[in-house]
Amino acid sequence: MLKGLMKSTAAAAMGLWFLSGAAHADPVVLKFWDNQQTESGLSVFQQEAVKRFEAENPDIKVEVTTIPYPEYQQRLLTAVQAGNGPDVSTVDQIWNAAFAQAGAIVQLDDLASKAGVKAAGFFPGAWESANYKGGLWGIPFNVDVWFFAFVNKKLFSDAGVDPASAVTWQGLEAAAKKLTDKSKGHFAIGLTGSKSEYPVVMTDSFIYSNGGAVLGDDGKCALTSPQAVEALEFYKKMADYAPAGILNAGDEPMRELFLNGTLAIELWPALEQPTLDKSKIDWDLIAGFAPEGKKAVGTFGGWNLVLYKQSAHQEAAWKFIQFMTRQDVNGAVVDLIPANVAAAKDFLQKSRRHPDVILEHLNNAKPRPLSPRYLEVSDIQQTMVQKLLSGTPAADAAKEACQAIDALQ
Amino acid sequence: MATAHKGRRSDRWMAYGFMMPAALLVGLFMYWPMIDTFRESLYSTSFINPVPSFVGLATYRKIFADREFWQVVVNSIVWTAGVVFLQNVGGFLIALLLNLRLPGQGLLRSLILLPWVLPGVVAAILWRFMYDPQLGLINSFLIRTGLSDHGVGWLADPGTAMAAVIFVAFWKGFPFSTVVFLAALQNVDQEQVEAAKIDGAGATRRLFDIVLPAILPVVAVNMLLTTILTFNYFDVIYVLTRGGPLNATAIFPTRIYEVGFGQFRFGEAAAYGSLAVLVLVLFVGLLLVAQRMQARAV
Amino acid sequence: MARRSTFTRKMPLVALQLAVACLVLFPFFWMVSVSLKPATEPFAIPARLWPDHPTLENYVLAFRPEFRRYFLNSTIVSGATVLITVPLALLAAYSLTRYQFRVLSAFLAAVILAQFFPAGAMIIPIYKMVKAANLLDTYASLIIAYITITLPVSIWMLRGFLARVPKTLEEAAAIDGASPLRAFFDIVVPLARPGIIATTVFILIVTWQEFLFALAFTSTKEMRTLPVGMNDYIGQYGIRYGELMASSVLVSVPVIAIFFFLQRYFIAGLTAGAVKG
Repeated sequence: MLKGLMKSTAAAAMGLWFLSGAAHADPVVLKFWDNQQTESGLSVFQQEAVKRFEAENPDIKVEVTTIPYPEYQQRLLTAVQAGNGPDVSTVDQIWNAAFAQAGAIVQLDDLASKAGVKAAGFFPGAWESANYKGGLWGIPFNVDVWFFAFVNKKLFSDAGVDPASAVTWQGLEAAAKKLTDKSKGHFAIGLTGSKSEYPVVMTDSFIYSNGGAVLGDDGKCALTSPQAVEALEFYKKMADYAPAGILNAGDEPMRELFLNGTLAIELWPALEQPTLDKSKIDWDLIAGFAPEGKKAVGTFGGWNLVLYKQSAHQEAAWKFIQFMTRQDVNGAVVDLIPANVAAAKDFLQKSRRHPDVILEHLNNAKPRPLSPRYLEVSDIQQTMVQKLLSGTPAADAAKEACQAIDALQ
Repeated sequence: MATAHKGRRSDRWMAYGFMMPAALLVGLFMYWPMIDTFRESLYSTSFINPVPSFVGLATYRKIFADREFWQVVVNSIVWTAGVVFLQNVGGFLIALLLNLRLPGQGLLRSLILLPWVLPGVVAAILWRFMYDPQLGLINSFLIRTGLSDHGVGWLADPGTAMAAVIFVAFWKGFPFSTVVFLAALQNVDQEQVEAAKIDGAGATRRLFDIVLPAILPVVAVNMLLTTILTFNYFDVIYVLTRGGPLNATAIFPTRIYEVGFGQFRFGEAAAYGSLAVLVLVLFVGLLLVAQRMQARAV
Repeated sequence: MARRSTFTRKMPLVALQLAVACLVLFPFFWMVSVSLKPATEPFAIPARLWPDHPTLENYVLAFRPEFRRYFLNSTIVSGATVLITVPLALLAAYSLTRYQFRVLSAFLAAVILAQFFPAGAMIIPIYKMVKAANLLDTYASLIIAYITITLPVSIWMLRGFLARVPKTLEEAAAIDGASPLRAFFDIVVPLARPGIIATTVFILIVTWQEFLFALAFTSTKEMRTLPVGMNDYIGQYGIRYGELMASSVLVSVPVIAIFFFLQRYFIAGLTAGAVKG
């Protein structure tokens, strides 16, 4: 009897399915996952873009899932492993190679050349990050530089310091001394030291700005070079002027302190501007810090759109990727800076202060090592920063890190 | 004779039948995974190399050579011993206090389990905020009362982080011990206590000679229970520090999660899992030996 | 005179008791206080004990659609776990208290031994099993995991209760011609009701807050439970403490309420298990 019941239920379900299929063609439902950037209001733009895409493609529906950055990578990996991942998602540049190596995503060379999607349309660093072992594995979606320095003008003028003087390391140190007043709870600069990507991008920037690198041209660890060690030593020195507790703090707590007016310099990508515009803080932007006579070089970062092998709707997903990176769309759907160069120029003119500073910084920023084992490299660097900030001399911390990084190969 | 035999056989079938579903579940979802954990630890996988390859005991050799592993062992023991000690000793002292018939006690007795009922993640989020160096209540209090002139990063200093997470686990867990001990205290033979009083035994004397021996079995069971629960407790440390800074609060569960689901090195995570069982069994073994010796001494 | 001396003698103890009460309750007070503060107030330095301008807006914000979804998910998973675990544990506990076969003692030993297995160690194999069964990111995956966690302790607790149900009642029923099964349902189950309630409360408290399995087994927003969803809030909305604390209150209220209504049974159950042990 149970069997009979199941059979008739199944038949009914099949009937319903056919009926609905006959009435109108079922739209393809695309699952799109993205990192949720804090409070950027991006979801509004995303929803508008999705509406626009659905209007252009009435046979496709897009379901958007956003996940906060600290949890995003693990969720994505778990879902892909479990076989219920998205059809298309953004991935952090630094994950792209690993996803390709793991066989999770589709190589896009043929699709891209057929559609006329070419390197020339994107920032070189962004395009490079989507390439791995001579193949194209993602389409650059957005980019930014970690970090720009946002300054609280009131705290600077109260301390009698000109923000422009802080662009050199020497100037920054002098300014930090004046800006820090622990009894008032005022701190000069928001550094981070937690086990996360934040301290890595921050220290990388200091290293790059001093002419150093994480990996040398030979692929070997270059953190023990004098330039890198000097930069790490400087980072450690500046930590005295940062709020207490940075070994357990990512960038969020620093941001809260900048927004409540007790932190003089916040290190964030340009994406911070909309939030600052909404706040009561009187702020300005300076482009990173470098030793006297050198130029500040930031760490390049951003997101690429990738297409999953598991996806049953690869054609629709590819349409969506093309749509999202198009010149007339890209600028509207990103909170970082569009990876599409033409879109980026309009975008910066329209919605950012100091577009020239940002563009210049963007053009000379350096990427992090693009390797399928980047996560392990990053993990080692994170440990290095924690050791550094807990009192290990920079040279020793760097040496240990290099031993571990070179042992990976 | 015949009916008795029949009855026994049907009893036997009923007993087995009643037990069977639970036994199957325990076997399938506890014993099999435990065996499989060890098997898994002999293979190596990662996100970029998802096909398992047999490596024998190589992963264990790698782990034993890793300083972080020994840090995890030490941390796990410090964490477990610290929390169990505070929960049991603190819990016991507070139970004694609540057993004294003081005014306002009824209310406190029913409120005391609140921290234990509060979800661990919520408790951790709450304490994370209270510990915050700049915005937190604890540091504000210290600064305002002049006990400190600046905010302290309780969770960010490798020297204080473990103590800070242990305190949160103590806060969340001691009410359980208190309630168990309270119930045990109420079962202590009052006549014996009164008799001792008449004989002129002081409060301390009565505590050690009569009360403690009477509730010792409960204390032993509760210690064992809290030891196992604490050793396996994940929520509080994950939300407060994720095992940092510099692995100062990394214990087996957080490490297994990080290696397994953060980096998808399942083989290594499984090896950590197998070693976790070993460490726990050794730790509990020591505890039992200590208790036996204590019992003999009493 | 004598009365007064006891009073002064008791004074320090009362003060101590007050200190304990503060330790227990103060964080709750703080949670509620912050949940009533408007958006920027939690970031005031130094921290303020009371909200300057109390408001309920955090609760309105906290009750967003995804929160309701997490709430529903947690309810379903906890409820299903109770419905499956309690009967299974009751049957097993019954056979453990009424019969003395060697297989049963072996099973009891196995159940106790299983308590030593760290969830952290078992999570990888269970994850793989769940994945092989194509159940990742479903209610079923969490319900299976939660039955696993709660079953041994539930058996343990119920065993303590059933040991107190006198055997003579069933024997009397047997003489009246009732089958053992009948006796179980008609006599034992009703008498074990306090134990069943205690076990239910225990399972609800444990599953409502479970975090590790939920974090590892679910990936989409549709399947997340409250603890995982709450953890996500930390980064997602820029540590808005007011809102975070408001959702903390909302998450805690159901378990606290259930607990208060049934606390009498629960404490009895706890002590039956532990004291009898």
